[in-house]
Amino acid sequence: MSAYNANWSLMTPEIVLGILALVIFTIDFMTGVKGKKPFLGRMSIIALLVTAVLVYINRGAGTIADIFIVDHFSTMFKIILLVGVAIVIAISMHYLDKNDDVYQGEFYSLMLFAALGAMLMVSSADLITLYIGLELLSISSYCLAGFKKHNRKSTEGAIKYVVLGGTASAFILYGMSFLYGLTGTTSIIDISQVISSLYVDYPFIVVMSILFMLAGFGFKISIVPFHMWAPDVYEGSPTPVTAFLSVVSKIAGFAIVLRVFFTTFLGSEGVLYDEWTWIIAIIATVTMIVGNLIALTQKNIKRLMAYSGVAQAGYLLVPIAAIFIPSYSIGVIIFYSIVYVFMTLGAFAIITLVTEDSGRDDFSSFSGLYKRSPYMAIAMSVFLLGLAGLPLTAGFVGKAWIFISAAQAGMLWLAGVMFVTSVISFYYYFGVIKQMFMNEPNPNDVELKAPLSISVVVTIALAVTIILGVLPGLMIDWIAYIQW
Amino acid sequence: MIQNAWLIPVFPLIAFIILLFFGRFLKEKASYVGITALALSFILSVIVLIERIGGETYSFVIEWLTFGESTITMGYEVTPLNAMMLIVVTVVSLLVHVFSKEYMREDARIHVFYSYLGLFSFSMLGLVLAPNILQLFIFWELVGLCSFLLVGFWYFKPEAAAAAKKAFLTTRIGDVGLLIGLVLLFNATGSFDYADIFAAVQAGLVNDTMITIIAICIFLGAVGKSAQFPLHVWLPDAMEGPTPVSALIHAATMVAAGVYLVGVMYPLFLASSTAMTVVAYTGAITAIFAATIALVNTDIKRILAYSTISQLGFMMLALGTGGYVAGLFHLMTHAFFKALLFLGAGSVIYAVHHRQDIREMGGLWKRMKLTSITFLIGALAIAGIFPLAGFWSKEGVLAAAWEGGDIFLFTIAVITAFMTAFYMFRLFFTAFTGTFRGDHEPHENTKLMTIPLAVLAFLAIVAGFVNTPLGFVLEDFLTQGLNVGYQAHGELWLAILSLAVAIGGIALAWAMYYKGAIAKDAFSSKLPAVHKLLLNKYYMDELYAKVFVQPTVAIGKFLWDIDRNIVDGIVNLVGRSSKITGRTFAKRHDGQLQTYGLVTIIGGLAIIALAFVLRGYFG
Amino acid sequence: MVPITLYLSLAAILFCVGLYGVLTRRHLVIVLASVELMLNAVNINLVAFSSIGPYADITGQVFTLFIISVAAAEVAVGLAILIALYRNRESIDVIKHDLLRW
Repeated sequence: MSAYNANWSLMTPEIVLGILALVIFTIDFMTGVKGKKPFLGRMSIIALLVTAVLVYINRGAGTIADIFIVDHFSTMFKIILLVGVAIVIAISMHYLDKNDDVYQGEFYSLMLFAALGAMLMVSSADLITLYIGLELLSISSYCLAGFKKHNRKSTEGAIKYVVLGGTASAFILYGMSFLYGLTGTTSIIDISQVISSLYVDYPFIVVMSILFMLAGFGFKISIVPFHMWAPDVYEGSPTPVTAFLSVVSKIAGFAIVLRVFFTTFLGSEGVLYDEWTWIIAIIATVTMIVGNLIALTQKNIKRLMAYSGVAQAGYLLVPIAAIFIPSYSIGVIIFYSIVYVFMTLGAFAIITLVTEDSGRDDFSSFSGLYKRSPYMAIAMSVFLLGLAGLPLTAGFVGKAWIFISAAQAGMLWLAGVMFVTSVISFYYYFGVIKQMFMNEPNPNDVELKAPLSISVVVTIALAVTIILGVLPGLMIDWIAYIQW
Repeated sequence: MIQNAWLIPVFPLIAFIILLFFGRFLKEKASYVGITALALSFILSVIVLIERIGGETYSFVIEWLTFGESTITMGYEVTPLNAMMLIVVTVVSLLVHVFSKEYMREDARIHVFYSYLGLFSFSMLGLVLAPNILQLFIFWELVGLCSFLLVGFWYFKPEAAAAAKKAFLTTRIGDVGLLIGLVLLFNATGSFDYADIFAAVQAGLVNDTMITIIAICIFLGAVGKSAQFPLHVWLPDAMEGPTPVSALIHAATMVAAGVYLVGVMYPLFLASSTAMTVVAYTGAITAIFAATIALVNTDIKRILAYSTISQLGFMMLALGTGGYVAGLFHLMTHAFFKALLFLGAGSVIYAVHHRQDIREMGGLWKRMKLTSITFLIGALAIAGIFPLAGFWSKEGVLAAAWEGGDIFLFTIAVITAFMTAFYMFRLFFTAFTGTFRGDHEPHENTKLMTIPLAVLAFLAIVAGFVNTPLGFVLEDFLTQGLNVGYQAHGELWLAILSLAVAIGGIALAWAMYYKGAIAKDAFSSKLPAVHKLLLNKYYMDELYAKVFVQPTVAIGKFLWDIDRNIVDGIVNLVGRSSKITGRTFAKRHDGQLQTYGLVTIIGGLAIIALAFVLRGYFG
Repeated sequence: MVPITLYLSLAAILFCVGLYGVLTRRHLVIVLASVELMLNAVNINLVAFSSIGPYADITGQVFTLFIISVAAAEVAVGLAILIALYRNRESIDVIKHDLLRW
C-alpha cells in the first residue's frame, strides 16, 4: 500500500492534538512570557479530552502503510494515557500556581507534545515510528524534568536523565539496527513473519537484539537494573512531572514492550517465547525485590514513590513473563495499568498539595494530615493501600488477576515472589499512613485547603479506586473478552 | 427473613458510614447509632438462626468476575456454622458496644471509636456470611485492618502504635500462606466456592500431595489470625488497645476467625491426614506454651491474652483430632466467657484508674460485687466447672483428643486444662480477694458496664447446654449435610477427670493465693480440726508446689524469655534484615551519574550472560 | 568489496568507545558527545546493512536520517540543561553533581 492512498484519517487524533499543542504554544507567546496562565491549563485539559474522544470515535481497526496501526490495543492505551496526562495537568495547575518562576505556557505545551509522543509510540507498527514517538516523549520529558531551571536538584536530575536516557536510546537503536539488517525491513509486522526462521539461522544476533531493546525499554519503564535514574530524577523534578514520569512515561513504555514482544518476539507458535520468558521472569523478580526493599529505607516521599513505581513495574512484568494466552495477558496488564494510573495520580495530587504547602518533600510534611484535612488523609491512605494491594481497592483486584494469570501459566513461584514482596510494601506505605494519622501536625501547619483542581482529581481517582475494587466486573468482563 | 441475611452486616456498615460523616457532630451520642445498628443485626441474626434450624441452607450468589472459563461469585449463604457464628458475633459486639459507652466516655474521639467498631462488625459478619473463600479473604483482610485501627486507637502511646503495626504485619505473614493456598486451590479446582471445592476434593480431582500443601497453606493463614505458635507474638502486644476492643476482637471474634476458617474448610483438611496432624500439634503446642506463660504474668490483660492463645490452641487441637463439633462448640462458649472475662477486666481497670497489674489490685470482691461475681462465673467457666459452658465444651475437646488416639496430645490437653484453672484462679484470688493494694479506692461501675457482664455471665452458664449428653443439639445442627466423620463423645470417666483437673487447679490456686493471704486465727479459733486438716493440706501443697509448680513456673519464665527475646527477635530480625538489604542496595545510589550507568551496564551484561547460560550457549 | 563484518565491527567498536566515554569522562560535554558516538555507531550499522546487507534497501538510510535529526534535538536539549546546571552549580564536572542520592 502506498502512502498516497493510505487512510490518513486514522491519524486524526494525533494530528488534532499536535495542532492544539501548537495553538497553545502560540497563545503562550501572545500573552507575554511570564505570569499565571490558568486558562492555558484548562485549554490543555480540554485538548486532551477532545483527543481522547476522537481516539474513541476512530477506534476502528486499520493501518497506514504498515507503519501506523490503530486497533483495540492502541485505542485503549491512548485513552489511558490521555486521561492520565489530563489529570497530570490538573495537578500541575495547582503546582504552577504556587511556583511563579516557572514559564507556564511552555510547561503545558511540552506536556501535550509528550502526550503526542506517547500516542505515536502506542500506535507504531514500525521501528522508525516507534523511535520518533519515543524520542518525542523522552525529549519533552527531559525538558520537563529540568523545568525549575534555578533549582539545583531539578537541573541535576534533568542532566542525569538526559545522559542516561540518551544511552538507553542508543541501546534500543543498536538492537533495532540488527533486526533491520537481518530482515531488510523496519515494519514490526513484517519482522514478526520472518523472525522464527531468522531465529533458527542466527540465534545469537536475534537474542542479542532482543536484549538490547529490552535494556533500552527497561530504562523507560524503570525496571531493575535499569532503574537507577528513576529516584534521582523523580526527586529532582517538579512534582507533577514526577507524576507524569511515573505514570505516562511508564505506561507508554509498557505498551511498547507489549507491542514489540507480543507481536514480534513471540514468533510463530511462540518459538522465541522460551527465549525471553525466563529472562523477564528473573528481571521481574529482581525488580520486585529490589524496588520494595529499597523503598523501606526511604524518607523522602518522592523517592519512595519512585521505588514503589519500580516495584509496580515489576508487578506489571509478571504477566508479560507468564503468558497464558497473549490476549489474556494484555487484558491483565491493561486493567492493572488503569488501576495504577488512578491510584498513583491520586496519590501524587495529594503529594503535590502537601509538599507545596510545606515546601519539604520528606515524610514529616505529612504529619497529622488527618487533623489538617481528613478527606485528603483518608484518600491518600486508600491510594497507598491500593498500591499495596489491600482488598476492596482496585489494586487488590489488579494484583489478584496478575497473580491468578501467573498461576494459570504455571509460574507459581513468580506469583509467590510478587505476593511476598507486596507484603513488604505494606510496611513502607504504612510509614506514610502512620505519619498522617498517628502524628500531630507540625506547629505552624494550619488546616489545609485543597484547590478545586486537586479536589476533583482526588475525588475521581478515589471513586475509580473504590468502584473498581468493589465491582471490578464492570471493567474486567469487558476487557477480558476483547481480542487485542 | 433468611433471604435477608445480607442485611446483618449492612446495619453496622450504615452505622460506620453515618459516623464517618456525621460523627464529629454526634460526639458521645455516636454510641446510640452503633448500639442501634448492632441491636438490629442481633435481632435479625436470631431470626435467621431460628429459620435456619427449621429450614435449609440458603445461599445467594451473583457473578462477580469472569476470568477466562472460570467464574468468581460473590454473595452470602446461611449454613448452620455461620448461623451460629452470626449469633456469637452480634451478641458479643452488641454487648461491647453497650459497655464501651461508659468505658470510652471520657475519650474525645469516641465517635471515631464507634465508627471503627461498626466497620469491624461489618467486616466480621461479612467474613462469616461469605459463600466462597475469596470473599472470606477480602473480609479477612478488612478485619485485620480494623484490628490495626482499633489497637492503635490510642496512637499517642508509642506502645499502642507499635503494637498496631506489629499486629497487622505479623498476621500478614500468615496471609501470604493463605493467599498462596487460595490460588493453588483455584488452580486445582477451578473455583473458590466451598461446595465446588469440596466436590472436587471428594471426586479425587486433586492429588493428595496438593491437598496437603493447600491445606497447610490455608492453615498458615489461620495460624497468623488465631495467634498460634509461632505467629502468636502479636496478640499479647495488641492488649495495648482499649479493653472493649480486646474483648471483641482479640478474644471473641477476630482471633476465632482462624478457627472458623479451618472449620469452614474442614472437608479439605479431613482429606489430608498430614494436615490434620499439623493442625493438632500446632494447637497442642500453642495451648500448653501459652498456658505456662500465663502462669507467671501479672498484667491482667496479658494473662487473659495468653489464656486466649491457649484456648485457641485447644480449638485447633480439637479440630486436628477430628473433633469438628468440639472445636466449634468451644469457639462459641469461649467467645462468651472470654468476652466476659475481658469486659470484667475492663470494668476493674476502669475502676482502679487504668492500672493493669494484679499485684496492685486485691480485695475488689467487697468493693465491686457484681463485677466480681460475673468474673468468678467467667473464671469457673473457663476452668471447666460443671455445669458451666466451659465444662461441656472442654470435655468435648478432651474427648476428641482421646479419640484421636494420640496419648501425647491428650496428656498435653489435660495438663493445659489444669494450668488454665490454676492461672485463672491465681488471677482471681490475687485481684479480687485479700486487701486492696492500690491507691485509688475502686467503686462498682454503672449499669451500662455491669449489664453486659451479667448477660455474658448468663451465657457463660447456659451456652453449654446446647451440646450435652442429654441431647447433642448443636452437633446435629452443625453436622447437617456435612460429612465430617465420627464425632467423639466423652464418657463419664473423662468428665470426672476433666472436673477433677479443674478443681485441682482451683484448689492449688486457692491454697497458694487465697489461703496464704487470709488471717489464720479467724479459721483456727472456730474450727481447729478443719484448720489442722487444711494446714496439713497446705504442707502438701507446699511440697506439691516445690515439685511441680516451681519447675513449671521456671519453665514458664524461661519460655516467656524465649518468647520475648527469641521469637520476637526472629520476627524483628526478618524486618531488620530486609531493611539492611534495602539500605545496602540504596547505597549504590550515590548520586554519581556514572555509577548509575555502570550499574545499568553491569546489570545488562549480567542479564545477557544469564540468558546465554540459561540457553546453554557457552557449551 | 569490503565485507559487511568489517563495518559491523567498526560500529561495535565505536559503540563501546562511546559507552566507555559515557561511563568514565568527567566533563559533561564529552559525556554528551560520547552518547552521540554511540548513536553514530548505530548509524554506521544501519547504513552498512542498507547498502551491502543481506536484504539491502533504502529504509536503513531513512532510519539513519531520522536518527541524526532526533539526536541533534536530543543533544540540543542536553546542552541547554547543561547550561542551566552550570549556572546553578558553576561546574560541569560529572562527579560533583551528587545532590540527589540514596
